[in-house]
Amino acid sequence: MAAAGGEEADSDEGSEELVLTPLQLICSLEQAWLNEKFAPELLESKPEIIECVVEQLDHMEANLKRAKKGDLKVSVHRMEIERIRYVLSSYLRCRLVKIEKFFPHVLEKEKSRAKGEPSILSPEEFAFAKEYMANTETYLKNVALKHMPPNLQKVALLKSVPKPNLDSFVFLRVLKRQENILVEPETDEQREYTIDLEEGSQHLIRYKTIAPLVASGAVQLI
Amino acid sequence: MEPAEAEFLAEKELVTIVPSFSMDRVHLIGGDLGPFNPGLPVEVPVWLAISLKQRQKCRLIPPEWMDVGKLEEIRDQERKEDTFTPMPSPYYMELTKLLLNYASDNIPKADEIRTLVKDTWDTRMAKLRLSADSFVRQQEAHAKLDNLTLMEINTIGTFLTQALDHMYKLRANLQPAASNDSQDF
Repeated sequence: MAAAGGEEADSDEGSEELVLTPLQLICSLEQAWLNEKFAPELLESKPEIIECVVEQLDHMEANLKRAKKGDLKVSVHRMEIERIRYVLSSYLRCRLVKIEKFFPHVLEKEKSRAKGEPSILSPEEFAFAKEYMANTETYLKNVALKHMPPNLQKVALLKSVPKPNLDSFVFLRVLKRQENILVEPETDEQREYTIDLEEGSQHLIRYKTIAPLVASGAVQLI
Repeated sequence: MEPAEAEFLAEKELVTIVPSFSMDRVHLIGGDLGPFNPGLPVEVPVWLAISLKQRQKCRLIPPEWMDVGKLEEIRDQERKEDTFTPMPSPYYMELTKLLLNYASDNIPKADEIRTLVKDTWDTRMAKLRLSADSFVRQQEAHAKLDNLTLMEINTIGTFLTQALDHMYKLRANLQPAASNDSQDF
C-alpha cells in the first residue's frame, strides 16, 4: 500500500466532510476515537470534525437554554449531549496521553513535515507538546543535570523517550475491501504472503502493515 | 478498551419500547426519534430505553433473538461447530446484561436467557483461548476473526497483544544469536 494511495483517499474524505450530516459527523468522531484508542502512534488530528461537533453541541445547548425546564424532551437531549461530550473528551484525552508519552518524536515529526502535508497536531496540541517539552527539559536541568559534570549536562530526549511501537498487533474491522496486503513473516522459516481484506471481516495483524489503511479510513481499529 | 466502553457502544443499538406517555418527534443530533404515543411501539436507542424504563415511562419489548428457543439453538450450534458461529447481535452480551438488569420484568424467562447467553459466551471464550494459543504457538502474523464481537475481542485483546509484543521483542533480541536455544519462552 503506497503512501500516495492514503493521501488520495484523505483528500476524498476532506471534500466529503463538507456535506456530512450530523449523524455521519458523530460516526466519524466515534471512528476517530476508536482508532486513536487502539493505534500505537498518534494519528492525524481531525480539526474539522472536532470543530463541527463542538459547534453542534453549543448549538444544542443554546437551544436547550431557551426550552422549558422539566420537559422530558430536554432530558433526552441532555443525555445525548453528555454521550457525545464523553466521546469527544475521551478522544482528546487519549491524544494528550500519547503526546505526553511520545513528545520528542511527535515534535520531531512535526518539524520534518513537508509543506502542505497535514499536521498530526492541532495548533493547541502543538502548543501543549512544545510546553511539555520545555517543562521536562527545565525540570531535568533543575533537579539533576546542573549538578552533573559539564560534559554530562545534556540529555537527548529523542533517544531517551521510547518510540511508539509500530510493530504491535491490532484488531481491525474492514470498511472498504482491500486487496493484496503483504503480511511479513514472523520467523525466518515462514514466507511472506498476501491477503485480501473483505468488507466487514475482522483481523488481527501488525499495526505497521495496515497503518496507511487506518489513515485513509479503509479499516477501523477495534 | 474497558468493558464499560463496549457497553457504551452497545447502547447505541435500537430496541423497541411501548411508551406510556406522549411526546412529539425529538430532533437529536444523531437523528430523529418518535413520535411517542401511549401504547404504540417505537424504536429508540438502548440508552434512552433504559432511562425511560428507570423512570417507569415505558415497557420494553425484548429483541427477537432474546428468546429461550432461539438462544438454545444458538448455544447448541456454537457447541457443535469448531469455528465461531455468527451471533444474533454484535452486542449480544452487552445487550443481554443491560436489558436483563434494567428491564427483567418485561423479558419472559429472564433467568433462563441469562444462563443460555452465559453458556454461549463461555463456549466462545474457550474457543477463543484455544485459537489464541495456536496463534501464538504457530507464530502467525495474521489472523481472521470473523463473527467475534467487540466485547469478546476486548476481553482477550489487551492481554494478547501485549503478550505478542513481548514475544516479538524477545525474538528480535534472540535472532542474532540463533544458536542459543536455551532461552525457551
